[in-house]
Amino acid sequence: MQKKSKVGSWVFAILAAIGLVMALVNLFIDNMPKGEVQKVEGYKPWDKETIDLVSELPLQDGGRIKPFSTFAGFKMLGYHGARSMKVKDDAGVVHKIKPTAWLMETVFRPHVAIKLPTFRIDNSKVLEAIDVKQKGRRDRYSYEEIIEGREKLFELAKSYEPIEKKKRDPEQQQTIDLAYNIRNYEALLGYFSYAITGVKLDGTGVDGAPDQRVDFSAVMSSAPGLIPELERIKSEQGRVPERLLSLLQQIEDGANYAKYGLFMLPPADTSKKDWLTAGNAIMETMTLKSDKPDVAIKDIAATEVAVRELANGEKGFREAMTRWIKRTNDRAKPDDIKFISLEATYFKRDFFLNAMILFLLGSISSLVMWGLGQSRVAKLFYWVTLSTTVIAVALCVTAIVIRCIIMQRPPVGNLYDTVIFIGTTGVILSLVVEWISRNRFSLGIAPVLGTALIILARRYEVGDAGDHLDPLVAVLDSNYWLTTHVICITLGYTGGLLAAMLSCGYILMRGLNLDGDNKELRRSLTKVVYGCICLTVFLSLVGTVLGGIWANYSWGRFWGWDPKENGALMIVLWTLAILHARLGGIIKDWGLHLASIFTACVIAFSWWHVNFLGVGLHNYGFTTGKGTIWIFYIVMLVFMLFGFMAMFMEKSSVDHKVQKNLDDADLAKS
Amino acid sequence: MDTQSYTKEMPREKSVLRLVYDFLSGFKLATAVLLLLLLLTWLATLEQIDHGLYATLNKYFSWKSFFLIPEINGKKIPLILPGGYYVCALLLVNMILGGVIRIRKGPKQIGNLIAHFGIIFMLIAGGVAHHFEERGNMAIYPGESSNVAEDYHEYVIEVAEVKNGELDKFHIIRGDSLTDLKGGNQRKFDFKDVPFSLIVSGHLKNSQPVNITEQAPKKGELVTDGYYLFERPADETAERNIAGAYAQVVFDDGEKSAPFILFGASYYPFTVRDGERLFTVDMHKRLWQMPFDVKLDKFKAEFHPGTSRPAEFVSDVRRIENGQEAKVRIEMNEPMRYEGFTFFQASYGPPDAKPGDVMFTVLEVVKNPADMWPEYSLYIVAFGMLVTFLTKLIGHVQTVSKKRQNHAKKI
Repeated sequence: MQKKSKVGSWVFAILAAIGLVMALVNLFIDNMPKGEVQKVEGYKPWDKETIDLVSELPLQDGGRIKPFSTFAGFKMLGYHGARSMKVKDDAGVVHKIKPTAWLMETVFRPHVAIKLPTFRIDNSKVLEAIDVKQKGRRDRYSYEEIIEGREKLFELAKSYEPIEKKKRDPEQQQTIDLAYNIRNYEALLGYFSYAITGVKLDGTGVDGAPDQRVDFSAVMSSAPGLIPELERIKSEQGRVPERLLSLLQQIEDGANYAKYGLFMLPPADTSKKDWLTAGNAIMETMTLKSDKPDVAIKDIAATEVAVRELANGEKGFREAMTRWIKRTNDRAKPDDIKFISLEATYFKRDFFLNAMILFLLGSISSLVMWGLGQSRVAKLFYWVTLSTTVIAVALCVTAIVIRCIIMQRPPVGNLYDTVIFIGTTGVILSLVVEWISRNRFSLGIAPVLGTALIILARRYEVGDAGDHLDPLVAVLDSNYWLTTHVICITLGYTGGLLAAMLSCGYILMRGLNLDGDNKELRRSLTKVVYGCICLTVFLSLVGTVLGGIWANYSWGRFWGWDPKENGALMIVLWTLAILHARLGGIIKDWGLHLASIFTACVIAFSWWHVNFLGVGLHNYGFTTGKGTIWIFYIVMLVFMLFGFMAMFMEKSSVDHKVQKNLDDADLAKS
Repeated sequence: MDTQSYTKEMPREKSVLRLVYDFLSGFKLATAVLLLLLLLTWLATLEQIDHGLYATLNKYFSWKSFFLIPEINGKKIPLILPGGYYVCALLLVNMILGGVIRIRKGPKQIGNLIAHFGIIFMLIAGGVAHHFEERGNMAIYPGESSNVAEDYHEYVIEVAEVKNGELDKFHIIRGDSLTDLKGGNQRKFDFKDVPFSLIVSGHLKNSQPVNITEQAPKKGELVTDGYYLFERPADETAERNIAGAYAQVVFDDGEKSAPFILFGASYYPFTVRDGERLFTVDMHKRLWQMPFDVKLDKFKAEFHPGTSRPAEFVSDVRRIENGQEAKVRIEMNEPMRYEGFTFFQASYGPPDAKPGDVMFTVLEVVKNPADMWPEYSLYIVAFGMLVTFLTKLIGHVQTVSKKRQNHAKKI
């Protein structure tokens, strides 16, 4: 066996260091607030007990019932680009605010919430255009900081909206997005204004005392008498007295502020599916259109009590919230709320972040393990890598199982699902390969693959900011086909990506001579890659045909040349071409690994790129992150280019040696 | 001995036929064809962004397309590629010769052989569907029934006689007899028991009748009755194209009518009178009749609460044939298959329906002789692959066991 190349080892170490730094940047620095931690006057953190209680308040959003914490998480991701923010209170103490606390602040203490750095602005030119003072090019701003440019923002957004989406420049799109976010945020900010301010009864203040205030629920109770009386006065006098007009205006304003935002009141009529906002309940009662006004009045009263109690401290607030939540749960359909607690726990535990930290540790450990060769210390790192990877993958599996229970469907139904599923199954497959081949190579690859794919999942989650647990559209809502076709296709991606990663490792190892010309290890890796490609062929072929059969059941055609279908077919064709080329002796070891790396490009096209094309029935229609896919292609092509160069250099070196031996032999003969 | 040495030193030359056979059944051709199909699939995926699916498919995979020049982002790529239909045909030949006939026979290969059979069956299914599949849609309101489906793309000219206020004895000119009537091309059509012929010319795939007072013709288009047919660019969604053509009636005595416009979206047909007899001439999408009626009892469209995300579409229909009725439910992923026709829940309308409005269902009707063949072929392929896997696994286990036995003997 030859000695390992020192230069090669250094090159590999540098590449590994770059990869690690990128992963760490994503894990830590990218989630930290930009700029200095802002001081927020009057900020007081919520008690943990209060947060835990409110986190399980059921709401309807995105077509399903979900806990307050889930709703808060995706809202915060959408506005803030992260699930946490840091602020300083009056005493200069830094507090970390997570989604539930952030949304509680927004709806229950809006006067403080407007000072929180809620909005992530990626391009300060958007603020420049609306005459708002900018900080860095990319920073986070509070509502209070943006409010002065509000009107101009809406005007600009309105002027950009007629431009076709794909023709808008990034600044135009960001302006539209910010306007949309501000509007939505305002719907949350003013939601409980009816409960905070109540209704002022004009002219009731005697001797300079302020006018009296009453609850909305009290006014709602008087609606059956008040509304006909108003009609009578109007018909008799031709106009409504100012005081009554003011009262009606306040009711309308309060109802309008609470018209969107939180669909938190289950329908009084259990045959209905749509939950109501507080605004709906107020308006329906006041216009005498409510089927059960007494229920609506009690609902609004319960929220008013909670909001009022908050002024006296969180203990009373918690008691009122407990009654409110019980009231909601008693009326909601049991099936709708049975996993609320589980879902709140799922997001609270943050399984994938914890798994990512472990994968990252495993990746570092695996690099040390490879670097130390076969020593005893290396064996220690072998076990460290194995244990961190196994624990991390167990966390991922747990998370996926919980998701399946909450969604009541198989694990893969949307793009986010595919990322975490491929990450998890990729790691499991690597461990299985390690168990069979015992070459420490696949084990080292496992945590790297896990880290990369969880980073991708987190990136996608931030970019999409949509709840990935929401129900599926009718055509996808088939557990049979989701279990067969989708799982097969996704596992096919896993097999192909693992093969490509192993081949990247092979190319580096052989090209940089990191293995000291260890032919046994190379043979073992080639066998593993070949096996993975066979697995990919099988799963992709069966999955693609199953997809065709599903399409035949859904749309009446087996094959529609839809980009997603074509992508799946391309994987089948490419992997079949590799196998036939290998069987026909057209490609040998180098060729197999180079082709295997290209499989990753074909999979990336099918899995991600087709979504950017904007055509087809499987089109998810998103446009962000297009640059990342090109970076991925380039990285894979660089690996291939390096592989080609290494292959030619090795061949020319072998040819040179053979020629030298022949010359020597000729010389000896002569 | 001589023969042996002859065989060793001078390998027997292969006949041309053998060389052709070796080529057609070889791995190299298999690899090349698979790569070519991959390239065509990729290019077709990209090209449909600009040109729409229907036009791209016709360009890349129709039997009429022998070769093609790809185009991406509106720019032609200097590359001449064979049509996908013929590449598939070559793959079929390669699989039959290489994957079935030439493949080494034996227990170890039986799985591969079965899998190859499955793929061949699948390719044949694709070919049958390509040539014989018919596809249309049927829109029905609750309480109404229908026995015709409307084709998505094909425009036909229909000549019918009006008898007792109703249309009778239909004569149809199919789309493939019309689409080549561009520019100065024209064709005369005769019909049995109809006292006139029809000369059709100037067919346009996507058109719009325009009044010359609104816009004067720019390309010397024929103007008739103050109108001419304006050629619109083909729509990316081919279903939206509206065909048009010029027609002229020639009576049996040689008298000709003035040319008139036939337009695929006109409200009323052109009428021709010959003595007491009255005829209509109309252009519309082809309607094809089924041997039974479908009556819609109830249509339900449900969305996930508070969203526009579809949750469920269900059409409760009655299939009526020879006075016999059968109740059937058609919903997403649950079509109705009957007498070679398959009905799928495709869409609904009207698009601007509000809660409480009466909605109609749109059923996609497909007649495909190879409807279930891909499913059967999947079972064959999966079985073949499973056999291969088990054969390899058993072989591997036996090898390991033998090695262990030998190792034990040595000890």
